[in-house]
Amino acid sequence: MNHFDTIIIGAGPAGMTAGQVLQDSQNILIIDEYYHYGGRLLGQLYEETKGKWWNGIEIAQKLYSDISEKVSFKLGTSVYNVEHRNQGFDVYTTSGHFQSNYLIVSTGGKEKSTPLPGWDLPGVMTVGAAQVLTNFQRVKPGNKGVIIGINPLSMVIALELGYAYIDVAKICLPPNNLINEAAPKRALETLISLGNSAPSKFLSFGSKMAEKVTPLQQLALQLFPKKGVHALGLPISIKERVMKINGQHKVESVTIQKTNALGEIIEGTEKEIECDFVCISDGLSPVNEVTSLLDLKHVYIEALGGYVPLHHETMKTEIENLYVAGNITGIENAKIAMLQGRLAANQIIKNNISSKEILEAIAYERQHAKVTFHKDLLQGRNTLQSMWMQHS
Amino acid sequence: MTDRILEHKILGKKEQKLVPFKWNGKTYYGAEGESITAALLANDIRTLRYHEKDGSGRGLYCNIGHCSECRVTVEGKRNQRACLTPIYKNMEIEQQTELPHLIKGGRPHESL
Repeated sequence: MNHFDTIIIGAGPAGMTAGQVLQDSQNILIIDEYYHYGGRLLGQLYEETKGKWWNGIEIAQKLYSDISEKVSFKLGTSVYNVEHRNQGFDVYTTSGHFQSNYLIVSTGGKEKSTPLPGWDLPGVMTVGAAQVLTNFQRVKPGNKGVIIGINPLSMVIALELGYAYIDVAKICLPPNNLINEAAPKRALETLISLGNSAPSKFLSFGSKMAEKVTPLQQLALQLFPKKGVHALGLPISIKERVMKINGQHKVESVTIQKTNALGEIIEGTEKEIECDFVCISDGLSPVNEVTSLLDLKHVYIEALGGYVPLHHETMKTEIENLYVAGNITGIENAKIAMLQGRLAANQIIKNNISSKEILEAIAYERQHAKVTFHKDLLQGRNTLQSMWMQHS
Repeated sequence: MTDRILEHKILGKKEQKLVPFKWNGKTYYGAEGESITAALLANDIRTLRYHEKDGSGRGLYCNIGHCSECRVTVEGKRNQRACLTPIYKNMEIEQQTELPHLIKGGRPHESL
């Protein structure tokens, strides 16, 4: 049978919770390109509060076990085209052609990368790649790594490498260029927001972050040691940049240079650090390829990570019966994605009471989130909402 | 040398069932159901492909299907993303190499 009430594209936190809600009243299909359900939950591992761990693999297993066997899953399946016609959807995949009345697109996010010399050598990867290898596949990305980029994601993953006894030799900034303006000041703001080095504090970045570097912090920026500091066992250096990655056939070392407080290179300070892998971390952006196939307006909002399909806070879009949920709507944590998936599904079955409660839960989670990826997130959400009002 | 992480501070032990597979005709062992990228890396193989144009080595980059840097030939089928393809017993995987140049020539590859 190739016709479903609802097709969900993406078996991550958003898609799976949507499936949970819909399974009782609808005939649904969940599609994912990866060979395992769970999406990017699969790599996540951090301490929320003392002794209480967010273990993404366990959460994914729980979500999956709550979905009945009558739900169709197509894993290892790529969607290469989607068409909207007669209030229904045609979804073309590597496992066949499917149709549905409703479509939920929950395709998640991807990592951004700014190139630097040597970034195409085997052994260079995104921090997310190292995370999946380490926590899900349980294969070391290497024995000694250098992480380029100081942001919440790179710091959390650096800690995770430590849990698997993988040595991180340095966490520092990328070279400065037209597209990447990473500077010590911003990195210091990140570090300040990480607070008193409790791992949970470590994640409280973003909305609660200091808006500006205060005069005292300006002094801290001047005095910050050029060789970096050790915090939480991580060698963090906001005044060093990796200028290039070296190696004959694979990563053998990186060349770093020291900078002043403004991030300007100090000549004659080149130093090589031996390592066998390098992680580039440059933030996340929404995966909008599927929604881009449809006649749907997308808007660029920096605080949400990039281009997102224009949508209402209830997850509906300009196209009737098309809903979005999760990181495609803006980069946020998995708890938000799960709530959004539930919300989209409740909208489809027209359960307005649940929808209202979920909207309140989303607002609460945004205020109290342990993991926030952009300090202006709430503002970005408001901008999107007003764009929707203007457009519709 | 890279290793499997069998012990983990938080996640505990992991049991894996190893199965044989072939990479460029040589037998290696990988955990059944893991991606080709993970299985090869656990055997210390980082160069998954040689670039079509200049023959420089490429490894896994994003490991979740976005970048397509990890393309390999699986059972004769070219351009399969190794990070999205789970291995099974006796799977045959081949490395893809530089394409021959129309004028300069170049080495032919049996999978072409």
